[in-house]
Amino acid sequence: MITVNTEESPWHAGMTVRALLDEKVFTFRHIIVRVNGEYVPEEQYDSYPIKDGDDVMVLHLMAGG
Amino acid sequence: MEFERYLRNQNAISPQEQALLAQKRVVIIGCGGLGGYLLEQLGRLGVGFIRVVDPDNFEESNLNRQLLSSTLNLGKPKVLAAKHRMLAVNPLVEVDAIQEGMTAANATDLLAGCDLVLDALDNIPDRFILQQAAKTAQIPLVHGAVAGWQGQVCLVLPGQDLLNLIYGDSEEYSGEEQETGTLAFTVGLIASLMTAISLQTLLNKEIPERKLLLLDAKNLEFTKLSLPISSSKQQWAGRD
Repeated sequence: MITVNTEESPWHAGMTVRALLDEKVFTFRHIIVRVNGEYVPEEQYDSYPIKDGDDVMVLHLMAGG
Repeated sequence: MEFERYLRNQNAISPQEQALLAQKRVVIIGCGGLGGYLLEQLGRLGVGFIRVVDPDNFEESNLNRQLLSSTLNLGKPKVLAAKHRMLAVNPLVEVDAIQEGMTAANATDLLAGCDLVLDALDNIPDRFILQQAAKTAQIPLVHGAVAGWQGQVCLVLPGQDLLNLIYGDSEEYSGEEQETGTLAFTVGLIASLMTAISLQTLLNKEIPERKLLLLDAKNLEFTKLSLPISSSKQQWAGRD
């Protein structure tokens, strides 16, 4: 299991940031991803591995007011 | 008159706290969606002085969400509408209407003499200018932002630089709202939560620190994330 925005979520071998975003349907254009506190740039989404037990944060970029 | 006006604030707010609120001074940066609701609520609560800052005039596209806008004041300054509104709602509140855009050059002056500042801006770069100004002024910043059905609120105490964690390394000007719009109920919800945080802070109540509250109105979900203590904007714990 991994944690995504404080909620437990299933993990599978070979999971990348991109795979997680697709599974969770995080389809918004402006998002910020951190894995165990480390900022993951967008260009690394396809390769950045997510390990069992990781703590993932996905924030939508919001700026309206 | 004053007692009657604030009767229904009791006993959530004690008479002593009500008197304290009348002494408090806040500044709202941005007088659009969030700003209009913030003025309304803070004014009705009885905050003694509210400075509103916005360079813009009302446009037709504001009417879907901006409380102070109406078909009668299109083309008129937003801050002027703010002043008139509070005169009608609660003349005990002093409104200082400043029709200027906040910049790095004037931000410190705009915050001068205030106990707390509210972020009702509509873009990311200006929020970093505001965070720096609040840090310089050593006053709390109540952050809020919306996009479509989603929104977020966070209390930023001087020096915490929590916007660095929330917006990360992004050099974007705007966020999801460019695609998902800005809706009246999301703006109202986020402004209400910002008001609650402001009230607690102005009354020196203890509130949980370093929390980012995320609203997803479509799925009726709130998520509270903990923001870690870190000097680096790369750091994040994310667990609460």
